[in-house]
Amino acid sequence: MAGAAHSAGNPHRARRMNPPALRALLADSLTLWGVAGRVEIADAGVRIIAGDQVLHVMQATPGEAPMRWWLISEARRRPAASMLGLLRSLRYALNATGAEPARARVAAPS
Amino acid sequence: MIPVSVITGFLGSGKTTLLRAVLRDPAYAGSAVIVNEWGDIGLDHELLETSEENLLGLANGCLCCATRGDLARTLIDLAARRRSGAVTYHRVLIETSGLADPAPILHTLLMDPSIAEDHRVEAVVTVVDALLGAETIARHPEAAQQAMLADRLLLSKTDLAPDTSALEAKLGALNPGAPILRAVQGAIPPDVLFASAARPAAFQHWLDAITTPGARHSAGVETISILREDPLPGVVLPLFLEALAEHAGEKLLRMKGIIRVAEAPEKPAVLHGVRHVLHPIQWLEDWPSADRRSRLVLIGQGIPPWWPARLLEALEEEARV
Repeated sequence: MAGAAHSAGNPHRARRMNPPALRALLADSLTLWGVAGRVEIADAGVRIIAGDQVLHVMQATPGEAPMRWWLISEARRRPAASMLGLLRSLRYALNATGAEPARARVAAPS
Repeated sequence: MIPVSVITGFLGSGKTTLLRAVLRDPAYAGSAVIVNEWGDIGLDHELLETSEENLLGLANGCLCCATRGDLARTLIDLAARRRSGAVTYHRVLIETSGLADPAPILHTLLMDPSIAEDHRVEAVVTVVDALLGAETIARHPEAAQQAMLADRLLLSKTDLAPDTSALEAKLGALNPGAPILRAVQGAIPPDVLFASAARPAAFQHWLDAITTPGARHSAGVETISILREDPLPGVVLPLFLEALAEHAGEKLLRMKGIIRVAEAPEKPAVLHGVRHVLHPIQWLEDWPSADRRSRLVLIGQGIPPWWPARLLEALEEEARV
């Protein structure tokens, strides 16, 4: 089962997300949002083609910390400090309606 | 905090019969009861033997839509009367109409701050007719929705349908984490039904349902299971929950999980969510069993089966870099 990959243990992992994993997550995200499009590995990131839009997602360099991602369109480059921010920016850029920013609060264990 | 339990189930499934039986139990006889009936003439409340001041009927609309505001006002008014000593009760039981979607009701109970400050949702019990339940679920999406959102499923009229294996398989596919109980004429100890669904003992059934990661499909509903051997960095949890609520909230019917957090591996975090409403994370004092893996079940419609696990992995990697 493909899902077995998701149960693999590796407590010392310190790797960055690779382009195939990024492509898979963003392709699933397009499906989730009901956006017709495709995601391709391109350069060091991925290219998203949806309608007449072409967007690129690139990982930020270590020197650009705390930014982790760049969403690049013809008009602008938007930084994101996490995958959560990247997904929000991407959904906004694709005009995929329905997203409402949510705030989850986590209380510390007593 | 006043415990609130919701009894739901399709038309004719036996909700009022169950409620009548529950109210005969001395520990539950003094419950405040809110009955939502569909139609101009309410009858169900006439069938309940409880004190007038503790019984409230919400007619002419369904709790999940038209009378949600009424529910909120009723609970707030009741709590105020309780504080003033005008009424006495220790718990609230809400019987929905047979066509109600429990999700908006839970949303009201959890998200209205004036309700949440005094009340705690304990359990959603869905009554399913053992004889007609399978056909009803197949024909009426409301019935399937009620089954999917249950903490506990109660098969009624089992004396009329001795073989419930097909129905139980269907219910298991819709809601693999909910224990399936049986009762004739509501004869079941109320504590079994209404014990807090977040207690470890009650939670174990959900956890036992997660045997492998992956997704199962049934009747347009996906059950997505995630298993993680590694403890998760604590910072990942709120990010993951926010992303779930923001991007999959409309498609997420139910979510439950137990998470091993790297910063407190001996105290598991329990997650509950209904649609985009996520309960506050609960921290248990200890693990309910020897299995200390993080386990998460999501029941939804239209969620790509690997999206939650891929998202979790991406957030986890960000936290570890």
